[in-house]
Amino acid sequence: MELIVADLHIHTCLSPCGELAMSPRAIVEAAVSKRIDAIAITDHNSVSMVDTVAQLALSAGLGFLYGMEMQTREDVHLLAYFNDSASCHRLADAIYSLLPNRPNEPLYFGDQVIVDADETIIGYEPKLLVNSLDLGFNEAVALVREYGGLPVPAHVDREAYGLMAQLGFVPEGVIFDLAETLTGVLPEGFGHAAAMCSSDAHQPEQIGRRTTIFKMKNASIHEMILASQGIDGRSVTCHIEERRTK
Amino acid sequence: MRLSEIIDRLSLDVLTPASDVDSEVTGAYCGDLLSHVLAKAAAGDLWITIQHHANIVAVAQVTGLQAVLIVDGRSPNEETLTRAKDGGIILLGTSESAFIMAGRLHTLLAD
Repeated sequence: MELIVADLHIHTCLSPCGELAMSPRAIVEAAVSKRIDAIAITDHNSVSMVDTVAQLALSAGLGFLYGMEMQTREDVHLLAYFNDSASCHRLADAIYSLLPNRPNEPLYFGDQVIVDADETIIGYEPKLLVNSLDLGFNEAVALVREYGGLPVPAHVDREAYGLMAQLGFVPEGVIFDLAETLTGVLPEGFGHAAAMCSSDAHQPEQIGRRTTIFKMKNASIHEMILASQGIDGRSVTCHIEERRTK
Repeated sequence: MRLSEIIDRLSLDVLTPASDVDSEVTGAYCGDLLSHVLAKAAAGDLWITIQHHANIVAVAQVTGLQAVLIVDGRSPNEETLTRAKDGGIILLGTSESAFIMAGRLHTLLAD
């Protein structure tokens, strides 16, 4: 077993709300300097940046999960994690047509930039990514599992785009292994799910402000599920950086 | 005003047929954040929303609402419809917006 400090909710410059400074190199450098062991890239409704960051993260010795932050019809944010790039891309391809055709307007929403490892711009995502898929929350959870991924509701206790605010309570029959929280403590209704914390970083300096310390064998979704159940000494612990008051 | 009369005057679709539409509507509440509706809606209100996730049924039950008007032509799936039927919650539909429906309902209830 290893103690793996993980920050599994990080946006890149592809997310319109993410700063251009969130280049693959900047993300990996910030994670290494914060002594983080594993990261996941979770841009809104898109995976166009995961492979470039994965390549740099893996060569820097970090664990890496391929991810996405989906926005369901009810404006709920749902994280999806995969061990491999191909499955993650298959899910992204499957939902792209469910994203409205509204074009991004960089003046109002920010740019949606795709860059390579050297920070050269290689493309722009034309559709506005911070928008709701034509897909209900329960269906989205099932779809992530169907594609072999791990669904984790994002910032469930946040006012904006959080599960509790948007849907009032956890829908009956929808079960999670892990759920992300801002405080480290899950609201009622999550059953046996373990609480997870992550930075939801949109700027490099935010990386690592909230992390989850997994005691498990490696950074993979199967190990995360085992850790959420506390199997064979595995565990999940939330860590929130203390804020400097001055 | 009786719900049946509102359905008639506003030409609403009854999405849960065989519902008992005789109940009295005393007011209405508009909202799409279910947590907020849980806190604010009152018994006797007609709830006007774009939401059609199955959780709307439990929100209606807990707050003592009899009916939910789903606007903008959005349509609930089987799970939501079944839960509504089982829970005795009436689901109504219209292609009009929440603004139009709230305005017309406000006029009706003020008469």
